[in-house]
Amino acid sequence: MKRSINNKSVLHKLTGEVENADHPLMKQIREEGVRKLEETRFPTSRDEEWRFLDLKPITRTDFVPSDQAGSKPIDNPEHYFIPESDSSRIVFVNGRFDRELSSVDGLPEDLIAGNIRDHLDHPAVKSYLNKLVNYEDDPFTSFNSSFFKDGGFIYIPEGVTVDHPIQLLNLYSDAEKEYFATPRVLVVAEPEATATIIEDHIGVAGNKYLTVPVTEFKLYQKAHIHHVRIQRDSRKAVHVSRPITYLEKHAEYHSYTITLGGKLTRNEPRVIQEEEEVSFTVDGLVLIDGEQIADTHSLLDHRFSHAESHQLHKVVVKEHAHSIFNGKIFVRRDAQKIDSFQENRNLLLSEEGQVNTKPQLEIFADDVLCSHGATIGQLDPEEVFYLESRGMTKEKAKEVLTYAFALETIENIKVESVHKLLIEEVKRYTSAEKSETVSA
Amino acid sequence: MLEIKNLHANVEGEEQEILKGVNLTIKPGEVHALMGPNGSGKSTLAKVIAGHHDYEITDGEILFEGEDLNELDPDERAHLGIFLAFQYPVEVPGVTNNTLLRESYNTIATSRGREELDPIEFDDYLTQKLELVDMKRDFLERSVNTGFSGGEKKRNEIFQMAVLEPRLALLDETDSGLDIDALQVVADGIKKMRNKENAFLLVTHYQRMLNYIVPDIVHVMIGGKIVKTGDKELAMQLEEKGYDWLESLATVNGEKDA
Repeated sequence: MKRSINNKSVLHKLTGEVENADHPLMKQIREEGVRKLEETRFPTSRDEEWRFLDLKPITRTDFVPSDQAGSKPIDNPEHYFIPESDSSRIVFVNGRFDRELSSVDGLPEDLIAGNIRDHLDHPAVKSYLNKLVNYEDDPFTSFNSSFFKDGGFIYIPEGVTVDHPIQLLNLYSDAEKEYFATPRVLVVAEPEATATIIEDHIGVAGNKYLTVPVTEFKLYQKAHIHHVRIQRDSRKAVHVSRPITYLEKHAEYHSYTITLGGKLTRNEPRVIQEEEEVSFTVDGLVLIDGEQIADTHSLLDHRFSHAESHQLHKVVVKEHAHSIFNGKIFVRRDAQKIDSFQENRNLLLSEEGQVNTKPQLEIFADDVLCSHGATIGQLDPEEVFYLESRGMTKEKAKEVLTYAFALETIENIKVESVHKLLIEEVKRYTSAEKSETVSA
Repeated sequence: MLEIKNLHANVEGEEQEILKGVNLTIKPGEVHALMGPNGSGKSTLAKVIAGHHDYEITDGEILFEGEDLNELDPDERAHLGIFLAFQYPVEVPGVTNNTLLRESYNTIATSRGREELDPIEFDDYLTQKLELVDMKRDFLERSVNTGFSGGEKKRNEIFQMAVLEPRLALLDETDSGLDIDALQVVADGIKKMRNKENAFLLVTHYQRMLNYIVPDIVHVMIGGKIVKTGDKELAMQLEEKGYDWLESLATVNGEKDA
């Protein structure tokens, strides 16, 4: 039977599950979310922005809210804690805040780090929650707005430097049913505030779930934020994320997104310049194999003069995996003296793998320096031979070179245990003879 | 040690023959120079001995200690003690010199029945070798050849050779692109490594390097064949007269074969 044309996707069908909210702000956000969701069509691969992407892992599953999924307890959640964030950790399980696993004692007193539900009357929450997120015709953000009950809220007061990285740990448990989660984050950094935030998504079992994280960052003047995002979802999971950041004058935002897990990942980072003289990084590393699909659609919006932006997006594809990159760089008419670097480098290690890449520069100013490039290649045979001639087997040589290729992106991650953990992940990926193949 | 008999080779998948019947014998303790004009096939010979995948042996054989190298992968040849110093050393960002050398050293050591060195022992060992090529310690923590100058890359090849202690070292135009000081360092390194058990094949376009390392035997390769073999005097002659006077030799031989 043919589906009706108005495209009632699983997301739309779920609007009946949306609960009433007590707090007026939440009530407003939810109502708006449902209204927008109903106005928005679910995308298909015929839409330009969704070309190449097979959305069947979402459309063919009847996801239920995580609290109806019969979720199982997580053994050893401590295993996923970062030692540096021993007392600066906010934990969510299936998108719901877990007070017992969280620990924020080590943070400066006037800093707020906790569940957003407990801070709905905070001026920063009132000003920015759901106000920053801005994705056109996107049912996923509306879906998140319709459903989220908890979320991470980090408020860093003026001039405060947070010594320890703050871990936003998202764990996804095994469950009887396939469920969806709607993690939500709001970070507000007041002038001259400095912090490192590690956002981690981990599927602890092999089960299928859908997670739709929405992350809003507001950086006031001279605020500096490092944002590390590690996606280690289960190999059957679907991860659709919308992290968006706004920068005032002299603010610096440096983000590093590492995509390792998931059956289907769609990540849409956006950085929006609100004033002159900002600096930001939107680097990415994608390591996929088996049947994994990872799609990054980014938007770096240079609206005012004197911005420096850096985007190095590195991808390794093995087996039947498929990577998609679409990197939009906007330089608006009044945005002069922009220095923007974008490079997408793809290492395609199998015949069956697939890579689509599309740098998309739209420049309306004349005094700008934009370099961009995209390459898809295999390992250089000359490099392989060089290492072979030093006694390594061909397999080992390829492993070493793939490892070296991937390493560049994580070199800038300064939190030692995270850096180490990622090196281990890269090693595991590069040395896997044959990865476990999981299909949806 | 090395015995090459009537070796013919071409680039895999291409008709054009590059090596057209090379004969060469190298004994332990010897230093050979392989000279010739550009495109004569001398670098190809070095790469073929090391097992480069681009080339295909169509006739003849290469025996190393009596073993047919054609049957062996490049890493297996390295394990036997063959080392190629590259004309264009490859940059390997993300892998430090230290990591590469420890991996290589231990793999080769194991395959040759020697003890592996633990990181501390290996560090001591590297320190001695660094002195040999006049390099600083911080060099060990840099990524292999990444951002190195031409001279540094060449010196790194000699350093790797010193660490891996090959039985047969093939130096592919190691002298090209080196200033006099660097050339001196490289030459001194080779001289110190020279002993009765090992052998060197210096592939070079110029006689210059041979002022520093005196070869036992000099070969001239033209048109894919060794057309003349002599002692160090031959190198001097080449310096004076160039290669032209030998070109006819190549043609005559070529016609004889045809």
